[in-house]
Amino acid sequence: MLLIFLGAAALARPAALQARVVVDETGRRVNVPDHPQRLVSLAPSITETLYALGLGDRLVGDTDYCDYPPQAKLKPHVGNVLNPSLEKIVALKPDLVLGIAEANRRQTADQLQRLGIPLYGLTDHTLDDTLRSIADLGRALDCNVAATALEQNLRRRVAEVERRVAGEARPKVLFVVWHQPLTTAGPHTFISDVIHRAGGVSISDDLKSEWPGLTLEAALDRDPDVILFPSHVELSPPLDEIKRLPGWREFRAVKQNRLYVVSESIIHPSPRLIDALEQVAAILHPEAFAMAASDEWRVASDEQQAPGFSSRREGFACSSLATRHLSLTATLTGLPPQQIEAAQ
Amino acid sequence: MRVAATRRNVLALVVILSAVCALVGLAALTIGGVHLTLGEVWAVLRGTSSNPEATAIVSEIRWPRVALAALVGASLAVAGTVLQALLRNPLADPYVLGVSSGAALGDILALWVGGRVAAAAPGLAFAGALLTTAWVYALGRRGGRLKSFTLLLAGVVTASFLSAIILFVLTLLSARDVRGAAFWLMGDLSAATGVELRLLAPAVIASIAVLYWFSKDLNVMLLGEDEAAHLGVNVARVETVVFLLSSLLTGLAVSASGAIGYLGLLVPHLGRMLVGSDHRTLLPTAALGGAIVLVLSDTLARTVVAPSELPVGAVTAVAGAPVFIYLLRRTAG
Repeated sequence: MLLIFLGAAALARPAALQARVVVDETGRRVNVPDHPQRLVSLAPSITETLYALGLGDRLVGDTDYCDYPPQAKLKPHVGNVLNPSLEKIVALKPDLVLGIAEANRRQTADQLQRLGIPLYGLTDHTLDDTLRSIADLGRALDCNVAATALEQNLRRRVAEVERRVAGEARPKVLFVVWHQPLTTAGPHTFISDVIHRAGGVSISDDLKSEWPGLTLEAALDRDPDVILFPSHVELSPPLDEIKRLPGWREFRAVKQNRLYVVSESIIHPSPRLIDALEQVAAILHPEAFAMAASDEWRVASDEQQAPGFSSRREGFACSSLATRHLSLTATLTGLPPQQIEAAQ
Repeated sequence: MRVAATRRNVLALVVILSAVCALVGLAALTIGGVHLTLGEVWAVLRGTSSNPEATAIVSEIRWPRVALAALVGASLAVAGTVLQALLRNPLADPYVLGVSSGAALGDILALWVGGRVAAAAPGLAFAGALLTTAWVYALGRRGGRLKSFTLLLAGVVTASFLSAIILFVLTLLSARDVRGAAFWLMGDLSAATGVELRLLAPAVIASIAVLYWFSKDLNVMLLGEDEAAHLGVNVARVETVVFLLSSLLTGLAVSASGAIGYLGLLVPHLGRMLVGSDHRTLLPTAALGGAIVLVLSDTLARTVVAPSELPVGAVTAVAGAPVFIYLLRRTAG
C-alpha cells in the first residue's frame, strides 16, 4: 500500500498540483503551472522574448530556426515551426509549451492538448500585440517585474520614434517579403504596423490577406517612394541585381536609389521588432534622426549591438514565408507533372 | 505467379502478410525522432513500461500514426484494385482518375464553411469522391463502351480542374487554415488521432469485407460487361457497390490524410505479380500490401530527411509514377 502511494507521488509532477487555468491570447483555456520551469518554444520570436525576459535557462527546447540570441542555437531543437516533432517535445518533459497562432499549425495545438501538455498560444498582428505578448508572457511565466520593465522600455522607444516622425510627410512604402512572385505584407501584420509607426504608409494596406501577392504592374502603379527588403540572402537577391530586373528598373524608388535592406528582425514579433522600427523610421525620415545626436536612440536599445544593417539569414524561414512556400508547393502538387506526362 | 484461390491458400496468404505487416509496424514504432530501443517499445506494447515519456511517444504519437497509415494504405489499394476491375483498366487509381481531388475539394469546402459542417468533412469528402467517380465514368463511356484512354484523360483533366478549384478555395481560407490545408494536401499522416482511428477502422474493414464478398463477380467483370451479364452477374449492382465503396474508401482516406497518390496503382500491380489476378486472393493481398507499403513509405518520409519530414505523398509518387508510366507503355503497346 505504501509502495503504491509512493509510486503515485513520484509520478505526479509538483507543478501540476499548483496549476491554474488561464485563457491564452488565442482564446484557449490553458492549465499553466504556477512556476513553469521547463519551457519549449515553438517560434523564434518567442525564444527571443524568453531570453529578453532572462528566462533562457528555463528554456529546454526550441525550433531549428531559433538562432537569436546565439545561445538559442545550442538548445535541443524540436524541429521546424510548421511541423515540430511531437515525440521530441514529449521527451523534453516540458511543463509549458509556447506557440504562436500565426506561425504554428492548429494541428500541433490539438495534438499537444491530447497529450496533456499545456500550450500557451500568442497572437501577433500588430506592434502593440507584440508588446502585450511580452506582458502576457510575464504573467504566464511568473516574471512580471522583468516583463514590465522590458515592455516599458520598448514603449518608451516606440514613443520616441513616433515623436520624431510626427507631422512629417508619410512616404509610400513597398515591403518586399518575396520578390518573385512579388509578395508583400497585408494590413493585419506587424510589418505593416511597423511601417505605419515609423511614419510611412504601406502601399498594400488595402489588400485583404496577410501575405498577399501583388502584380508588378500594380506595384509600379502605386509608385512607392521607398522599397524595403528584409535581410535574408536566400529570398532577396542583392539589390544591384534587383535594380536591373525588367519591370523593377521602372520604379521611381529604384531610379532615385531608395531601396533598403532592413534587419530581418522586422519579421520577428519579438522585442527586436523595435530595433526594426527604429531602423525603418531612420530610413523613411533621415532628417528627423540626423538632427539629434544620432546615437541617442540607439543607446536606448537593450541590445549590445546597434540595430544594424547586418545581414543575417536563417531566421526568415520560420515566419509565414515558409507558409507561403508551402502553398506554392501545394500548387505544384495539385497536379503532378507525371499525370500530364502520362496522358500525352 | 498465380496462387489458386482455395480457402487454405487465402488464409495462409492473410496470415503471412499480416505477420509482415506486424513486423513492419513494429519497426515503424521503433523508429522516430526520439531514440527508443526495441525493448522499450515492446515494454510499452505489453503495458509493462515504467517510462511515462516512452509510453506517451509510442502509444499516443507513433501508434496512431502507424495505424492510420495502415488503414489509409489498405483503403487506397483496395479502391484502386476494384476500380481497375470495374473499368477494365490497369491504370485506374483514385488519384489518377481525380477521385482523390474530388474528395479533397469536398473536405476543404467543409473546412471553409467551418462550424458544424467542418465536423462533417469526411462526409463531404465521400460525396466529392462519389460525384467525381460518376462524372469521370460518364465521360469515359462512348456509345455504351468504356474507352480506356478517354477515361484516363477525363480523369487527368478532371483532377487538374478540381485542383484549380481547390487553389481558389485555399485563397479564401484564413492564413492559419491554409497552413494546415497545404500540409494536408501533400499527404500528411501526422494528424492521426485515436478518435479518428475509432471511426475509420470499422468503416474501412467493413467496406473491404463487402468488396471481398463481390470478388467472384469482379473476376467475371474482367471479361466485359456483356459477358458478365450473360454469366449471370448483376452488373448494375456490382457497379453500384464498387462505385459507392471505392468512393467511401477514397473519401475517408483523403479526409484523414490528404491526397496520397499512386498507392492504388502500385499496390494492386505488385499484388498481381505476387498472386495473380483472381480477386479472391488479390483483394486481401492488396489490402494488407497497401497497409505495408504505406507504413513503409511513411517511415521513410519520417526518416530520410530527419529531423525534418517529407510529405508521404512525395514518397509514394516517386515509387508510383514510374510504375504508371511502365503500365502505360505496356497498355499502349
